Order: sequence, then C-alpha cells, then structure tokens
Amino acid sequence: MSSSMPSHKAQKMMELLPQKLNRQVVGSLLACVHCGMCHESCHYALTHPDDPRMTPSYKADQLRKIFKARHDWTGRVFPWWVKATTPMTDEDLEKLKDIAFGTCTNCRRCTFNCPMGVDTATLNRIMRGLLTRVGVMPEGVRVVSKDTWELGNQMGVLKEDYIDTIEWLSEELVDEFDDERAAIPIDKEDADIIYAINPREVKYDPRTITNAATIFYAAGANWTMASWGWDQTNFGLFSGDDELGAATWKHLQETFKNLGGKRLVISECGHGLRSTRCEGPNWAKTDQDFIMESAVITMARYIKEGKIKVDKNRNSQPVTFHDSCNNARSCGFYEEPRELLEMVTTDFREMYPNRTENYCCTGGGGAMSMAEYTPRRLKSAKIKADQIRETGARVVVTSCHNCVDGLSDLIKHYKLDCEVKQLVDLVAEALILPGK
Amino acid sequence: MHGDNGILPIVEVIHWIALGVMGTVYTLRLIWLFKFPGTRDRQLPGEERGSTSIAVPLFSMGNVAMPWIMESTRKNLLFYASFVLFHLGVALGIILAFTNTFTALHQNTWVASLFMILMGMAFLVSIGRVVRRLVSPVLRLISTPDDYFSLLTLTVWFGLGVAAEAHLVGMLRSEIWLVAYLVATSFFLIYVPFSKISHYLYYPFTRYWLGRTLGHRGSMSVSRG
Ligand code: SF4
Ligand code: SF4
Repeated sequence: MSSSMPSHKAQKMMELLPQKLNRQVVGSLLACVHCGMCHESCHYALTHPDDPRMTPSYKADQLRKIFKARHDWTGRVFPWWVKATTPMTDEDLEKLKDIAFGTCTNCRRCTFNCPMGVDTATLNRIMRGLLTRVGVMPEGVRVVSKDTWELGNQMGVLKEDYIDTIEWLSEELVDEFDDERAAIPIDKEDADIIYAINPREVKYDPRTITNAATIFYAAGANWTMASWGWDQTNFGLFSGDDELGAATWKHLQETFKNLGGKRLVISECGHGLRSTRCEGPNWAKTDQDFIMESAVITMARYIKEGKIKVDKNRNSQPVTFHDSCNNARSCGFYEEPRELLEMVTTDFREMYPNRTENYCCTGGGGAMSMAEYTPRRLKSAKIKADQIRETGARVVVTSCHNCVDGLSDLIKHYKLDCEVKQLVDLVAEALILPGK
Repeated sequence: MHGDNGILPIVEVIHWIALGVMGTVYTLRLIWLFKFPGTRDRQLPGEERGSTSIAVPLFSMGNVAMPWIMESTRKNLLFYASFVLFHLGVALGIILAFTNTFTALHQNTWVASLFMILMGMAFLVSIGRVVRRLVSPVLRLISTPDDYFSLLTLTVWFGLGVAAEAHLVGMLRSEIWLVAYLVATSFFLIYVPFSKISHYLYYPFTRYWLGRTLGHRGSMSVSRG
C-alpha cells in the first residue's frame, strides 16, 4: 500500500463521518472562530496551564480538520490554509483516541461558554463514535460496550445475580418491616411505576435500592422492577455509538410496554437520565411515547402530596450539592434536586459555580472506566475539590452514580473531610415510618 | 459623487460586483448547509422549564448582546468590550464602503468623527488581537493561516477605513486612500465566504439550533440563561 493512502481503519472512519453530519453538527464544525473564549470553561485546560492541547477548540478541531478536508470547499482546495487534514495511519487514530477519550468528559461546559454556539462536546462524542466503530477505544470502553450488547446492562450483571440480589434485598425489607407489602415486586404488570436502576446499584451499592424500595413502600406505591431491560444507564452516550445507545434504550421501552407500566422512574444517575430521558428517543429514532421522570421528582411529589413524611432534622450536617453535567447542562435538571434537598436537610450550602455552570466531577463521559487516564483525570479534579472545600460541607450530595464514584475518588485523592450521598439516601434517612 | 479621478468609479463598480459574488457564494453556502438533514429532539419537553416555544432559540441568538449570560463574557468584560468595538468597526466599515458616494453625509463632521473614532478603535483592538494570537500558546496552537490572514487584513482594512473617511471629510487630500479602501473591501467581499470571517453567516443558525435543543430540555431558559 502506498504511504499516501490512509490505513484501512482511517479510511473506514472517514467514510462513516457523513452518517454523523446534520445541520446542527455541521454548523458547529463551521462556526468556530478560534477565539479561545471557551478555554477557561474547561477543567482540563484550567488544571493543565502548560498544555495548550487541553483547550476545547483543539479537541473539536480534530473532527473539524477531517470535515474540512473531506467536505468543506476551502479545505478541499487549500487544505493547508485552514489546517484541514485526515488521519493516515493507525497511530494517528490512537492519538485521536487519547484526545477524544482522555482529555474531555463531554461535560458541555465549553458549549455553554461559546459565543458562537459551537457544541464542542457533541463534536467530541462524534469523534468517539467514529473511533469506536473502527475498534479504536480504551479497553474499559470496549469491555463495557461488549457487556451491554451481550447482557443488556453495562456492568455485565447476569440475570440470575440480579434477581438474587433483588430477592435478597426484598427479604431483608420484609423482615425489617415485618410486612409482606415491603417486598420488591419483580415484573409486576400494570404497575404505576417501573423503577429502572444503574447496574452499579445492584453490583456495588444495593443500599440505594433498599432506600428507594423503603420510600416506595412508605408511599404505598404500586411499583415494580423488571427482570430484563432494567438498566437505565447507556454506554452509547460515552462511546459515541448511537446504535448501542438505541439498543439499550429500546430494552427499557420494550420492558415498559410489555409490563404495561404507567410511568418509568429513573433512579438517580446523570448520564442515565440524559440517555433515557433525553437522547434515547433520538438514537432510537422514535418519538417518546411514555412518561418518564427522575426518582428525584417522584420523591419530591410524595412529600408534597403527603404520601411520605420526613424529618429534615435527621440530616443536620452541612451538605452541598454537585450538579451532574448531564443532568444540568443536557437535561435541564437542576432545580428539582435543590427543592428536594430543602425538604430533607437543614444546612444546605451551594457550591459556586453551580447548576449549568457547575464543573464536572471529572468522572463523566465514562472516565471512570478508562484507567489509563486516571492521573490526568485526578489532576483536573482539583477544580471540583476546591469547590467542595470552600463550602465547608461534610456531605456532598449528587444525583448521579457516576458522580458518586468521581467525587469519592477526588475526595480521597485531595483528602477532603466529607462523604458522598445521593438524595435517595437523604430522603430515606429523613423518612418517618409508622412505629419507627 | 466623487471627483474626476477615473479609477474611483471603476473601483466602485468592482466592489458592487464583489458584493454580488459574495451574495451568490453565501447563497450557495446556505443551500449546502441546508442539504444536511435537519434534526429535532424526539423526547417530550424537559422537566418544568422545558419549552418548545421559539423564545429560547431567539434568546440564544441574542446571546451576543447579553454578556452576563455566559461566564466566559461575564468574567472577561474587557474582552467583550473589545469584541463590541471590533464588530462596530466592521459594521461602520461596511456602511462606509457602500455610502462613500454620499459625500454630504461623510462631510458632516459628526458623522466623519464617529466613523473615524470607532474604526480607529477597531483598528487598535485588531492590532491587540493579532498580538494576542501570536503570543498565546493556546491561540497559536489552534490558529490556522486563514485566522492570521483574516485578522491581519481586517486590521489593514480598518486603518484604510479611517484614512478613507479622513479623505471624505477633507483631512486627507489624496483619493488613493478611498481607492485603496474600496479595493480592500472588494477583496474582502470575495474572500470572506471562503474564510473564517463568514462565521457571522452561521451564527444565527448555530445559536438558534443550540437554543432549540437546550430550551426543549430546559437547560437553557430565558429567565436563567
Ligand atoms: S468553540 Fe467557540 S469559544 Fe471556543 S474557540 Fe471556537 S468559537 Fe471560540
Ligand atoms: S466538554 Fe467539558 S471536558 Fe470537554 S472540552 Fe468542553 S469543557 Fe472540556
């Protein structure tokens, strides 16, 4: 093969690019003026001042260069004038992999700070998706993607193990309350609520399932969990693989339809909420035709409607709230958690900046599954560590399982004196149960 | 109309032709952009703030005039002010190019002063931007030859604009400044659609689409930004 020819994988990747191009994406590819105003919005750029490659537009330019070289007239005629280039070798693809997966958590903070409306996070996700399609991705991404395709959940939880765990939790709840109604229903038809979880809960943190089940029990909810199609997370969001994203979302949709549920309630998870609530229908090319909501909204409704009673004094430690990037910037979900926090805690302190301006916990974009980039991730976490430290809070609350891991990691690394909790934990702690 | 120098009328015709070329290329450019498939969010509107109304996309388009909305402008108000001056200079430069034949207008001292001061400030801002782009390692890394060339030629254009206005108001006698300015404008009109300067063509669309997506989800709202 001539050295002027791209490698097979590079060629294939470029051939896939047109599938990803729509007006909005092309607009983002065309509109960047290289003004650098997004630079200070990125936690990687801020914590790596000596490395200009951390600036958001450099990351987006990796896709932009290919687009210009293959699709844009100036780039096709005078490529050097606009730095239009294409990857030629497999080594070039590896370099692109390190940029797309290792220097960006797709947090979208730069998008919100670009005067031109360039959606750099989306461009980076597209780059990830193109690389993934030709097999170029971090090992962790490969493993999780494979597990999702094979087993329908991103942590490779076998159906037997899942059912075993839920039954075990269910028995404990029945024993604790001495009431059969405290059991966790599985595959109950026509339930008002089908509760979808993050596999991390069943594998590493079943306490959150117990807490949610306790709240549903206290509210007298007609609810169920599903034995299949229960994973509300979606690694397609991180790998950029829209096909995987669509398949995962369809599992949930099919389960919902088969069980005849009335409302899908999504346990607390930023990328899960974004994938299920916001992106899934787009990937699956299906209009959303059933109701879904975050468990945060469900819990707040129970309190407002008097279905459960809480004593906020049980959560008197100073707490702060970390907005998951996916929740806040990509789902518009940032007031509801605060509303619930006010109901169940006595000393809530905002960290600054917050809501859509909040900084990433650095565990976003699937970063927790890419061990090779951990040192860079933890270095970039200094911004978040400083944010938390300044609040003086002893509890960092977040509505996201990924963020729980990201925050726990940085709390350990930066030796902060606090712990991470989710709202479901605080509501369960504040819950007033008859006779308890 | 202008004096008897034979070259000026020719230059004026050329720059109107150049305007036609620019318009044509821009039209083709937009046709090309709109050949890519459109998108829409298929999910139901986001939680309480999600909106399918046109208010958020329009709000997003107005972002340029609301420096308090984005942290990047809110924390860099000086840079934002320089951005405003720079683009005011561009606007006045374009107006000058197409109104220079209205000598009475430009012989008005107030009008001439306004043009010269603002274009002069834009000239200084532009020099500052060239320096910034050359000095900052980040900007050096991301800049293309087109970025440098566009900025340098705009700087020259602002300078020529000040001189052309000075000629029109009678401060500079030689018509060569006006001729040079119009030639530079013609060059720009033809070059712009192929360069990064065409960003203003895309701005309304990128901001509109971003506002539509994020407004639908409730991430961007008129009340909160
Ligand atoms: S992405 Fe936006 S803010 Fe960043 S350099 Fe490009 S135009 Fe400027
Ligand atoms: S999406 Fe987030 S991590 Fe990626 S470049 Fe933008 S600000 Fe940085």
